[in-house]
Amino acid sequence: MKAIRGAIALLLGSALLTACGSDGGGGTDGAGKTLDVLIGANTIYPEQQREWFDEVSATFKAQTGATVRFETFATPNDELTRIQTSVLSGQGPDVYALGTTFTPTAYATKAFVELSAEDWGKLGGRDKFLPSTLGISGPDEQHEVGVPFTSRPFVMAYNKDLLAKAGFDKPADSWDGLRDQARKLTSAGVYGLAVAYADSFDPWKFIWAMSLQAGNPLVDGGKARLDDPTTAAAYRTYLGWVATDKVVDPAAVGWKNAQAIAAFGAGKAAFLPMVSATSKVTLDKSAVAGRYGYAIMPTIPPGATALPAGGSGAASILSGDNLVVASYSKDKDLALAFVKMLTDVEAQRSYYKTFGELPTNAALAAELQADPALAAMVESSSKAVGTPFTGAWSQIQLALVNVVVQSVPALSSGTVDSAKLDALIKQAQSTAQGALDKAK
Amino acid sequence: MRRARRVAERQRPLWMLAPGGVLLVLVVGVPLAVAGQISLLDLDQYTFRQWLDAPFVGLDNYVEAVRDSSLPHAIWVSTAYAVIVTLVTLPVGVAAALAAHDRFTGRGLVRSVLLVPYVLPAFVVGTVWRVILQPDGVADAAVGRAGLDAGLWLNGPRSFWALVIVQAWTAWPLLYLLTLAGLQTVDPEVHEAAAIDGAGWWVKLRRLIFPYLRGPVALGLVITFLHSVNNFTLPYVLFGVPSPRDVEVLPVLTYVESFQNFRFGLSAAMAVFSLGVVAVPLLGYLRAVRLT
Repeated sequence: MKAIRGAIALLLGSALLTACGSDGGGGTDGAGKTLDVLIGANTIYPEQQREWFDEVSATFKAQTGATVRFETFATPNDELTRIQTSVLSGQGPDVYALGTTFTPTAYATKAFVELSAEDWGKLGGRDKFLPSTLGISGPDEQHEVGVPFTSRPFVMAYNKDLLAKAGFDKPADSWDGLRDQARKLTSAGVYGLAVAYADSFDPWKFIWAMSLQAGNPLVDGGKARLDDPTTAAAYRTYLGWVATDKVVDPAAVGWKNAQAIAAFGAGKAAFLPMVSATSKVTLDKSAVAGRYGYAIMPTIPPGATALPAGGSGAASILSGDNLVVASYSKDKDLALAFVKMLTDVEAQRSYYKTFGELPTNAALAAELQADPALAAMVESSSKAVGTPFTGAWSQIQLALVNVVVQSVPALSSGTVDSAKLDALIKQAQSTAQGALDKAK
Repeated sequence: MRRARRVAERQRPLWMLAPGGVLLVLVVGVPLAVAGQISLLDLDQYTFRQWLDAPFVGLDNYVEAVRDSSLPHAIWVSTAYAVIVTLVTLPVGVAAALAAHDRFTGRGLVRSVLLVPYVLPAFVVGTVWRVILQPDGVADAAVGRAGLDAGLWLNGPRSFWALVIVQAWTAWPLLYLLTLAGLQTVDPEVHEAAAIDGAGWWVKLRRLIFPYLRGPVALGLVITFLHSVNNFTLPYVLFGVPSPRDVEVLPVLTYVESFQNFRFGLSAAMAVFSLGVVAVPLLGYLRAVRLT
């Protein structure tokens, strides 16, 4: 048996060998060494990304003498496959840029370096970062793998003309207030809200935010709390926009995020909640260019006029990218030096100027706060809260979205069917609890 | 006679098949064995790094797949839709082949055009149909013009039929192609003889042409069924993840368990069940054409 297993492991290992290797040794004198870095392909600015790679490589070479070799992944699935391959074979990129919500799963694999106090020192200290951005680096301060690299907080775009015409000077700060504004703004082919009900990710972010604002973080220790009334209220609010309030285009039950952005860009919706700064590229080329603004999303939960006791005024999930160092890397110090360089003011500024993604570096964030165009983004970034740090989160996320997917067919009837919704939530709760029970 | 055959068998240089055999073992056998082994382990994101040391759980994954997952429902959905698609594509494919078989001006062009749905990448097909079937999309406008109620195509009960329609649209040219190949093998003298005997078109079709088509059409049906059962890209692109309940098919369910929930052991057990689903028609076919 052992021999067979050994043979299989050997076969698999040899099949999975990714051509790459870092030479042994330590210290940040990297002369003659190569550091492999895996980062998401930027589909909006592919040219600029290539230039940025070259610029970073040149700077790092000047600093340490080491060469940086960038590889990109196209989709989250692609990223996952790369990580699985590397983790299995014990070799691959030294440094990865991971999405924040994926960090707990990456942590669960134990394939990434847990940062000691000394390591943080090598990165320039924890104080270098915006405190909120450290919220999803690990389960607690002693066990962190992720170094905050970029921040992509979620905000809400609003159509200034439509709001002015209806006599609103700014978007409401509560979900109920936003719904009332949306009702007034819905008329003649224009809807109050543009919401992507068929997106694979958007729906859970709404449910999570509304639940958390009402004091329910969805995961409490090892317990799932999707069966809490606050979560049902969040679903009823979110589904009610299209079913009972009629403030969303009925076709939105088939929309992905890009279609919601397009509808807002065509001037067919007053509010576009749950978008990041990357929407700016599209909107600045659209019919509403120059006539829209960004604001933080409501932070007061449905059914309330003020933040309840125990509620958290989360404006967004903690969103963006973390850098992690692979534990199989033979050049840990060199990798840390590279991560330090990317999170220092200079590199962060260049990254922000090139891609429009907000910095995680506290000094630079403070500098940008003065720019009125960015005020909402920076505010949202500082009010962002990390999703529960558990390896089970990806399953919980899917269970949350599943409730919305299975509810959609009944929405056209003009009601949110309570019995059906409760049954779906119950199922999601048991899925979430099952995933948490398996978490180690 | 019998003895003679045995002597002949003894002299076959079977060892010359060794390279092919080794390749088969490496490409098919080893991954299959690994999948079988993983299906007996509690392999997830927590044990993935040292996967060979993941806890051995025997048949627990299989039990969980049958009892506590959507697997039985997914097997039902997958099989039902694949059978319907296969039955729908049969007459369409055969009719198209018969139409494109006779000589006429522009036959080459028609034959090529009929292949378009088959050669388009599934991703493109899925994306285009997704746009067509959107609420307020082309399909709804057409249905509305016919005075019928425009409804949801990409979620709810109609999504099942949307999947059948789109899959049938991409699958029928395969049957057409195989039938056409079968028609090419019909001996022209047979046609002449039938014409001399004064046989009508229906008799000609039933007695002369269909017997020639039995093999290729059977193969076409099996391949269409297997393609439909195993099609991941189309349902994934059309409906996204999580799937609406009515179109929760096997490949998507298996994918979600592996790549979204990281339950590799459970997912491997599901894959073994899928193997069972596709093995049934395959064995039937192999028996039918006596390749066993």
